[in-house]
Amino acid sequence: MNKFLRTLIPSDIAKGMAITGKHFCKVFFTANRRKVPFHIVSEYPEVVAKVQPRYRGRLTLLKDEQGEIKCVCCLACEKICPTQVITIEKGKKEGRKMPYPVRYDFEMERCIFCEFCVESCGFDSIILNHQFELATYNREDFSLGMEGLSQNMFEPSPVGKFSVADD
Amino acid sequence: MFKNEEMEINLGPQHPSTHGVLRVKLRLDGETITHCKPVIGYLHRGVEKICENQTFFQGQVWTDRMDYCSAVANNLGWAEANEKLFGITVPRRAQYIRTLLNEFNRLASHLIWLATHALDIGAMTVFLYAFREREDILDMNEAFCGSRLTTTAFRIGGLREDLPPGFEKMARKFLAKFPTCLEEYENLLSENRIWKKRTVGVAMLSAEDAIALGVTGPVLRAAGVPYDIRKAFPYAAYAEMDFEVPTQTAADTYARYLVRMAEMRQSARIIQQCLDGLPEGPVMAKIPKILKPEVNEVYHATEAPKGEIGYYLVGEKGSINPYRFHVRAPGFINLQSLPKMAEGGLIADIVAAIGTLDIVLGEIDR
Ligand code: SF4
Ligand code: SF4
Repeated sequence: MNKFLRTLIPSDIAKGMAITGKHFCKVFFTANRRKVPFHIVSEYPEVVAKVQPRYRGRLTLLKDEQGEIKCVCCLACEKICPTQVITIEKGKKEGRKMPYPVRYDFEMERCIFCEFCVESCGFDSIILNHQFELATYNREDFSLGMEGLSQNMFEPSPVGKFSVADD
Repeated sequence: MFKNEEMEINLGPQHPSTHGVLRVKLRLDGETITHCKPVIGYLHRGVEKICENQTFFQGQVWTDRMDYCSAVANNLGWAEANEKLFGITVPRRAQYIRTLLNEFNRLASHLIWLATHALDIGAMTVFLYAFREREDILDMNEAFCGSRLTTTAFRIGGLREDLPPGFEKMARKFLAKFPTCLEEYENLLSENRIWKKRTVGVAMLSAEDAIALGVTGPVLRAAGVPYDIRKAFPYAAYAEMDFEVPTQTAADTYARYLVRMAEMRQSARIIQQCLDGLPEGPVMAKIPKILKPEVNEVYHATEAPKGEIGYYLVGEKGSINPYRFHVRAPGFINLQSLPKMAEGGLIADIVAAIGTLDIVLGEIDR
């Protein structure tokens, strides 16, 4: 009898519908009001996405106050990189005691953003920046280097170049 | 005049409900499955071999990419296996933070299981709600180690950095709202007649069969065996935590659902204890710059969300690479029970059977 009644009266489905309805009302009646926390989805290309301070993005070479490249070619980052994407060529520059990287090639397509290179660098000369919009249409765009290539390691990558907002 | 013929069909490898690239060869008699054979290997990358060619320090990044839904649990197993190999003791604060992150990871993994399993069976609503909560956990991962899925969270000997400022606030905020969310999922599913019809008595796996096949994790506990490595062989800071191992005896899909829901409550309890009793101190042990083991072999098992994940490492004297590296992946071993669960059942129920095993093909194929 009890079972029959339960089959007849769909209380379980009503319970589920109540939850869905509650959430629907919350969002529906507070839509377009800025400060309401029920909207957990942000409209990404229009609204800039924020990342946490420790976010691991693209590898960037740093310069000191005089505009000198901080890297001294100790090759620690090249050695520790699990995917071997860094290639450094040691060289000399006039008026600089420390070795100078003539080439610092970084093939981003194989980088796995693990931050081991930054961790191994004893001279704080590289960081992973906060960029995550790294997709491009050309494979060549992933070869980063000191200069001359389509992207270099100092400037930010062309953020949002291919995002929907530009069309 | 009529002939009774069996039909052979392939489920997958690109079927959305196989959770990746799993192909299941099925032989059907009408709608009943008479023969079932999983075919794996579509996602094979040779993680074990890659790790043998890399140093002990570098190996961790490959463990992220095995079970990508629970990368932190994989990292923990790897780090602890290495610490066992080199005889390193980890500071107490690091142990607590590891436990904390591991439990958050268990929540994230169970939430993604709940979401996809419910979606496979037909409950769309839970999918979005569960992903909403998982998002908060991924944000915490990002705050701690800078990445959401491929965390590379730990280092051999401890942690790279301490908890970031604001992490505790995020964690407590999450814990405050999580029980309400769990209640919401249970209200949506536990008593729902469609959910019960699709799960109760479906994909049975008895305790004897589960033990014989080496199945671990929630699937084993739903058959009534209270085996949990966190309790049986405590690692990290689990020895100091107060929690229960939820079990069920029905051994069907519904029992596994109940076990995982209860496990999420216990995980929240462990996180609360970790946050309250977080000791002060360093987070990194003193370790030599280059790790070189004496000839030695270790096997270290930890309780990943999906079951026992074991790392087998052999070190070679004077070498900076592991001589042999092997992973006992829980998904790989649990998948062997799929024929046992599915044969004799209906074809519609194989989706429930795959979902309830909670497999991730990245880990099975490695
Ligand atoms: S982040 Fe990792 S993979 Fe990328 S360059 Fe640095 S060490 Fe190599
Ligand atoms: S570790 Fe730092 S200083 Fe050494 S080569 Fe790499 S970037 Fe340059």
